[in-house]
Amino acid sequence: MNKPDFSDKTALLIEDMAEARIMQKKMLNDFGFKSIDIAMKAESAIEMLRGHDYDVILSDYNLGNGKDGQQLLEEVRISHLIPNTSAYLMVTAETSIEMVMGAIEYAPDGYITKPFSQAMLQRRLLKLMNNKEKLIKVNQALDEQDYDKAIESAQAVATKHPVLDNRCQRIIGDALLCKKDYHEALAVFKTCRKSTKMPWAVFGEAKCHFYLNDFDKAEKKLRQLTLDNKYFVAAYDWLAKTLIQQGHQDTAQEVLIDAVGRSPKNLLRQIELGKLSMDIGDHIMAEMSFRRAVFLAKHSCFNEASVYLQHMASIVGLARESELTSRQLDNFQSSLKKVEQNFFDSSTTRSEAYLLEMELMSAINELKTAEQIEEVWQSDIEAGKADAPDSAAQQRIHILKSAK
Amino acid sequence: MEKMDISTILASAIHESKNHIGSLLYQLETLKRQPLKPDVEKAIQKVEEGMKQLNDEWVEYLYLYRLASDGYHVHYDCFSLEEFLDDQVFALSQSAIAKNLDLSFNADRNLMGVFDERLMTAVVGTAVYNALRFAKSKIELNASLDKEYLVISIEDDGPGYNNNDHQEDELLFGSNTGLGLYFAELSATAHNVEGRTGRIEKLKSNSLGGAKLAIYIPQ
Repeated sequence: MNKPDFSDKTALLIEDMAEARIMQKKMLNDFGFKSIDIAMKAESAIEMLRGHDYDVILSDYNLGNGKDGQQLLEEVRISHLIPNTSAYLMVTAETSIEMVMGAIEYAPDGYITKPFSQAMLQRRLLKLMNNKEKLIKVNQALDEQDYDKAIESAQAVATKHPVLDNRCQRIIGDALLCKKDYHEALAVFKTCRKSTKMPWAVFGEAKCHFYLNDFDKAEKKLRQLTLDNKYFVAAYDWLAKTLIQQGHQDTAQEVLIDAVGRSPKNLLRQIELGKLSMDIGDHIMAEMSFRRAVFLAKHSCFNEASVYLQHMASIVGLARESELTSRQLDNFQSSLKKVEQNFFDSSTTRSEAYLLEMELMSAINELKTAEQIEEVWQSDIEAGKADAPDSAAQQRIHILKSAK
Repeated sequence: MEKMDISTILASAIHESKNHIGSLLYQLETLKRQPLKPDVEKAIQKVEEGMKQLNDEWVEYLYLYRLASDGYHVHYDCFSLEEFLDDQVFALSQSAIAKNLDLSFNADRNLMGVFDERLMTAVVGTAVYNALRFAKSKIELNASLDKEYLVISIEDDGPGYNNNDHQEDELLFGSNTGLGLYFAELSATAHNVEGRTGRIEKLKSNSLGGAKLAIYIPQ
């Protein structure tokens, strides 16, 4: 095997166990990487990825109490913190590999199973870099969101390197989905699937059916995927989305509750469950989901005001149904405080927070407090710090005032 | 106390032990980085080899447990057989060299197949470890396509399946009840495409004269 040349490459190593971290650092050192940064947990890795692009990311699946390596990968892929040109190699134990493989939507570029030797890691990294090199034009185009160019390049790579044909077809199918060319995408996924059960192709087909408003067909494919692989939680998400379109909100909620049970640390899924529960008036489930979401949001790429505001809204929903416990009131205040601390620069967020606080006070009969909040809001509007209520907000104010 | 399922207990016990092996192997990597006398280095290599084999065996048992208790979901993906077999030879070559055996593979450059990579890695590993005990000089991995079935075979130049009078043969691999063969069979039959399931065949190797284990995976 060729001596690897990593001398112009940078690496990020994410591993919580000291022993393994030291060993892997030594190995990467021996390969001659230009620089090697180290993170001990997912949260600090996210910070480092915000500041740098790395050529290679070597991450353990198991990262202690926080997010696991797969959640980290999903989050940084969704928020584009790592370019497609970077190589993500996931280190797994034999027992956790199913979790990683089940995450078909956001798969790492490669896996290596513990325990591994230096020679094995070197081989995996070389193979990974070789493939990345062959796909460089495709990935650059994807990073630029130039899907036509990505498709064209992928077709060229597939012709030149038949071994990469499968991977290229998947990229082409996904790029067509991004372009909203659903009929063409469907044709690609169907050809790829042939007679075998390639899960990503079935998943692609299901998404095409969904976008083409063929919800029954989408449901059938997604149900099959959830049966074939219980770790493929994204299939549950799409099944729930499909069921909502079909008007089966309650079944959709059951599906999401199941999915959340399988991956309780997934923030976006908690938010989805919270929203759906709000829609069907299940404020208890909504509050629970948004409370978890608030907890998870703190160290994530998706730390946005809306998570906290929705949590507050779910507690308002509870307050209107029955008397709140002091704990629920505390939860409301705690989320409000976080909004005040982190998101009060936004005049829209500020107004929504005031309105929710007024709604809560009115629901628990603290009418005086509600009036005081309205006065603060009014002066903030005059100072240009808060938005004046739009028509929907005016409607809500009207309702809470007439409820007295 | 509620009575627990003994196979589940054993499976998690194996899992624990396997993790211990993992951290011991890390310690060994540290040792290997020291300047060592040739005989010490050789001894360390043997220890490493043995632990790696132990690790692979326990991985096999864990898969076996999951397959037998219907707790395994086959993960289909598409692979180049040349790359797959090259990986297997790479991972197992140290064991073969330690026994002065030649381990090689043949596969058409463009042959692609759909199968569960982790599972088939464990199956090929198990079969090669077995062949290491019987081969005189040579073990060969082959892959080809036979009527909508991918065939991966492990062949050696040992005495073959029918005339084994080795004592240890009975332990793992010799008869139909052998654990290794049972594992290979469960792994093959777990692959299922539109009603066609995988299977294994115990044959005589035409090219090497010894045993040939052929694993048929529906495509």
